[in-house]
Amino acid sequence: MKPVESILPGVFSLMDRLLPFAFAEPAFMKRALLALLLTAPAAAALGVPLVQHRMAFFSDAIGHSAFTGVALGVLLGVSPSWTMVAFGAVVAVAITLVKGRTGLSSDTVIGVFFSTVVALGIAIISREKGLTRNLQSFLYGDPLAVTDPELLWMAALFLLVAAYLAFLYNRILLLGIHEGFARTKGVRAPAVELSFALVVALVVTAAIRTVGILLVTALLVIPAAAARNVARGAVAALWVSVGVAALSGFAGIVVSWYLDTATGATVVLAAAACFAVTALFRAARPSE
Amino acid sequence: MNASDHLHTLEIRNLTVRRGGVEILSGIDADLRCGEVTALVGPNGAGKTTLLLAILGQVPYTGEIRFCRAAEHGRGVPRIGYVPQSLPLDPDAPITVLDFFALSAQRRPVFLGASRRTRESARESLERAGVAHLLQTPLGRLSGGELQRVLFALALRDAPDILLLDEPVSGVDVAGEERFCDFLSKVQRDSRFSLLLVSHDLSVVTRHADQVICLNRRLVCSGATTEVLTPENLAAMYGADAHLFRHSHADGHGHLHDDGGG
Repeated sequence: MKPVESILPGVFSLMDRLLPFAFAEPAFMKRALLALLLTAPAAAALGVPLVQHRMAFFSDAIGHSAFTGVALGVLLGVSPSWTMVAFGAVVAVAITLVKGRTGLSSDTVIGVFFSTVVALGIAIISREKGLTRNLQSFLYGDPLAVTDPELLWMAALFLLVAAYLAFLYNRILLLGIHEGFARTKGVRAPAVELSFALVVALVVTAAIRTVGILLVTALLVIPAAAARNVARGAVAALWVSVGVAALSGFAGIVVSWYLDTATGATVVLAAAACFAVTALFRAARPSE
Repeated sequence: MNASDHLHTLEIRNLTVRRGGVEILSGIDADLRCGEVTALVGPNGAGKTTLLLAILGQVPYTGEIRFCRAAEHGRGVPRIGYVPQSLPLDPDAPITVLDFFALSAQRRPVFLGASRRTRESARESLERAGVAHLLQTPLGRLSGGELQRVLFALALRDAPDILLLDEPVSGVDVAGEERFCDFLSKVQRDSRFSLLLVSHDLSVVTRHADQVICLNRRLVCSGATTEVLTPENLAAMYGADAHLFRHSHADGHGHLHDDGGG
């Protein structure tokens, strides 16, 4: 980890030169900005196929499973940041497999898992006094407290998402259009579905550090929804979504610094503002 | 011409598909001949789509589906094209017709744009289907008839030996239906692929199909269209609903009203 970690001071001094403003001065603000510029665009890029596959509820369930993952970490004496990631991945795989085996509708399966894992989390927390304080930063997100190792994990995840989408984006989209047709074009549906669920789980659990369990789905859904308002084709859909996410991440940090509001919530509000603007564009466009 | 003069592209022997302990198809024997149009008819829930899925290898089955080596293809395994009935509704989907072609044509992820080769082959296929102007149209904005032609163009792009069409004229008005069928016959004559066509519409079948396979969970009958579509066979296939069916060889406008549930 050490040689990799030595990259960060260089990045920070570069940011000092690019952003000579008061808000970017403290190191924790630089970390927060980096964390958001890594996780929000990655989440938004995954959000485009996620919305196409109608999986918003799925990402919400993964987000809430993090609650239990954190509780488990504290219970076992392991860093909750990592148990959260591992538990989210397990739940994602479980939902996908159960859905595939039983043929139940996905919202039914997710509904069952969602309540089960949250109940498990509450049960653990109620037994372990003093755990609630730990949970606060996960519920609302705390980008200002992101650590260097977490930042490196986010960077690795960013690269992973980029490589994953470069390799599988076409197949995921084709599967979302028509499964039977996609299969005739050689798409291995179960493998693609499972890998997508897993990558979404990794990004959701990473993004929880920045905007929190309650709001994490917003990072995947709102930019992709905003892109749908203005994009006709697949090229614009992805890049508008990523652009909205980067812009909201940056604007959210700056505004929260000056208004002294919670950073995660401010980022989501900035994304919502982008959605509103694109909705106006859509309304103003003559219908064909 | 004698039946044995025809090369079979596909032979189905004793095909049985079970789902949840129920036999959806039992002991089906059928052949698909080279360069001919075979219609697959039967009431709702007869297992027509299931048979297509079995041919595509997408449902588990017992029995045999043999793809025969047809000399004129010069290939062992035939290419199977599939045209689904329609697409699940997503009117806002930011995916154009060109994107749709690109998804299965190129390695480059579609968010980096369509390659020149994709663009050219898409335009060419759409032109053959008479819908070149739809290249940049989002999928959600296509009418039922336009979507059908796009799906058909996409299937044709890969030069299939066997083309499976699931209810190609559902959701299209009568005029559009006729135009599509005439167009289909023309393309089929030019390209000489074997066409397996699922249809509810017996006027389409009598006019365009060479062979008919009548299905109602088991094989009711199969053979040349003119010999197979008799009142007795139709009664066997549709049961009590058969009286709803007006069939006329003279005007070819027999139409099946089949409201039976799934």
